[in-house]
Amino acid sequence: METGTGLPHRRWWIPYLFLAPGLAMVTLFSLWPFVNTVVLSLTDAQILRGGSFVGLDNYRRAFADPDFWVATGNSVLYLLVVVPCLVLLPLALAVLVQAKIPGIGFFRSAFYTPVIASAVVVGLIWQWVLRSDGLVNTVFQRLHLVSEPVPFLTDSAMLLVSAMIVTVWKGLGYYMVFYLAALGNVSATLHEAAAIDGAGPVRRFFSITVPQVKPMMLLVGTLSAISALRVFTEIYILGGESGGPGGGARTLPFLIRQVGLGFSGETGYASAVSILLFLLTLVFSLLGRRLSKGDEG
Amino acid sequence: MTRSNPTRIAVVLLAAGTVLSTAACGLSGGAADTKEAQRTGRVSGEITFRTLQLKPTFTAYVQGVIDGFEKRYPDVKVTWEDVPGDGYNEKLVADAQAGSLPDVVNLSTDSFQLLGDRGMLADVAALDGASAKEYVPGAWEQFKLPGKGDSVYAYPWYVTPEILTYNRELFEKAGLDPAAPPTGVEQFFDYAERIAASSGGRYTAFMADPKGRLPGDWQKMGIPILSEKRDRFTFDTDQAVRWVERMKDLYAKGAMPKESLLKSDDINQLYGGGKLVFGPGSPGFVKDIKQNAPQIYAKTQVAGAVTGTLGHIGIYAQSLGIRKDTEHVDAAAEFAKWVTNGPNQVEFSRKATIYPSNAQGLADPFFSDRGDGKDAETLARAVGADQLRTAALDANTPVQWTNQVGDAVVREVQKAIKGEQDPRTAVQKAQEAANKLLAAAAAK
Repeated sequence: METGTGLPHRRWWIPYLFLAPGLAMVTLFSLWPFVNTVVLSLTDAQILRGGSFVGLDNYRRAFADPDFWVATGNSVLYLLVVVPCLVLLPLALAVLVQAKIPGIGFFRSAFYTPVIASAVVVGLIWQWVLRSDGLVNTVFQRLHLVSEPVPFLTDSAMLLVSAMIVTVWKGLGYYMVFYLAALGNVSATLHEAAAIDGAGPVRRFFSITVPQVKPMMLLVGTLSAISALRVFTEIYILGGESGGPGGGARTLPFLIRQVGLGFSGETGYASAVSILLFLLTLVFSLLGRRLSKGDEG
Repeated sequence: MTRSNPTRIAVVLLAAGTVLSTAACGLSGGAADTKEAQRTGRVSGEITFRTLQLKPTFTAYVQGVIDGFEKRYPDVKVTWEDVPGDGYNEKLVADAQAGSLPDVVNLSTDSFQLLGDRGMLADVAALDGASAKEYVPGAWEQFKLPGKGDSVYAYPWYVTPEILTYNRELFEKAGLDPAAPPTGVEQFFDYAERIAASSGGRYTAFMADPKGRLPGDWQKMGIPILSEKRDRFTFDTDQAVRWVERMKDLYAKGAMPKESLLKSDDINQLYGGGKLVFGPGSPGFVKDIKQNAPQIYAKTQVAGAVTGTLGHIGIYAQSLGIRKDTEHVDAAAEFAKWVTNGPNQVEFSRKATIYPSNAQGLADPFFSDRGDGKDAETLARAVGADQLRTAALDANTPVQWTNQVGDAVVREVQKAIKGEQDPRTAVQKAQEAANKLLAAAAAK
């Protein structure tokens, strides 16, 4: 078929030449490691020890491993708690700081600060706040709200809750910026028209603002779900390398790191758990997609 | 040419890429078949020497050692590379996988075991058997591997012994005699209990993290960690249960900082802030405290480590391994021996808080000088050296107690200390988990 551009037809490969550097990078740094992980998950490879093919043994082992189920449960619980918070709270914050009043720029910057703070600093601050002799516990005890310090960092369930608080705290400013952009596109005339019709601020928020920022809410939901499933840092900086007493607050990435790293690291098994985490992430991403499609429909 | 060709080619390329990547996935047999280098008697060639975080503090010292060697052997050129501590082991693993280990490389106990076990290190006993007598016996023996006979896979380098450090003032406040520090694990716990009872929450005795105490405490209590054949863990005993019960009880009574159970506390900070009675058990720490918390340093007392029924400590040496297939084995072996010889190690010890693994070096008067018996740093050096002279391997962490085994045991013990699990069940489950890991490792 002639294109009519005057380019000789047999030079079909020229576009691929331009694509080649990008494709090479993607292949080298994304596709190849992924394929490698899939292959490794079917072997009993260890660090420095080439493995042999063991079929689906690693997957069977994961399904029979109580640690895997604890980690999966923690990851899913993390997602179920953190995602609604990160979809709704930043929206509320964005609506608040959208107001054009003097000095609002300061608040916008202040809310964004946790996003750029380093993980180490965040960890130190929150440890200081949540320790048994930290700020919160001292206040609680002075007010006689509790007789014993609340084990925010030394109890598995509380550690998980503390980590969720840090995740939400860190995510507020980040997603607030997303919502500010979306709110900027909400038509002011619609608000004016509704106000004339007698709709109050609450009614206008639910009937005008929310429908218009809904696509953004879905995007934030999907992004925060993916990052919630990948949570590692918060638990590590608050609760140390064991992931809570008895490892009870470990999430899937935590488990992957524990089984895969170190000189006795089991690369094969860690790869299998990584693939399972990938599938779990895929399920939640598809769910988000389905929701947004349903919304469009 | 039809339009489907590019698609077809893309599919073929993708398939080929997949096959190639599969082939490169490390499914081949590892490095056990690496050819061992043979000595020729000619000390020459260009060798690489990797150290662990010695620059910039010790640049002059290391360069001096290298220059001395090159002067003695003019045909050898040593290229020195220093790697930061963070990720040192990861880099070793990556280099070992890529077949690009340096000719002479600084190894810790775990990295030596791994590389030696995988057949990547030269047997220095075969290369240079006469060297054995130059080192403290415990140090030379440490670099043998189970099931590999008399082969030794690294030259012992510097050693850091375990000692006991404590805050004299807090000791007295708790009604304890600073001149009578604990010598056994049970006694250590008794002291901690008294400290907890008298501190009113203002300070604690020691760190709760079981990872730092196991399996050392159990060995010191005479608990058999492994069966005689060393193929099975056997620490599930009444004594081990008693140890967990006491840890649980002491934790509940406030003898340890609550957060230290999960290792998220910094012992240097706590001890330096006067909130902890027992400091870290290393002589280097005494120097740190002198610099960072002089007021606590003035109250710091040093004694021999808690040794319990064993009566001695283990020996944990840094070492220099020789790459098995090095092209210049004579130069590499002579250089490793040169770095670890008596004079060079003593000079190093004068610049850093470390001890020579070399017998001649350890006999230097520098290590027996106690000064006026009051300065903690001087005392720590003498006490540490004393401990090393009698150190023996049976107090070392067994090879079988890998990081994974340690983590599995610690997880169960942590639950018991927190009161989430009965101590007996915890020890039982810990042993089961450890044996499972041991069996899995043996099967591979």
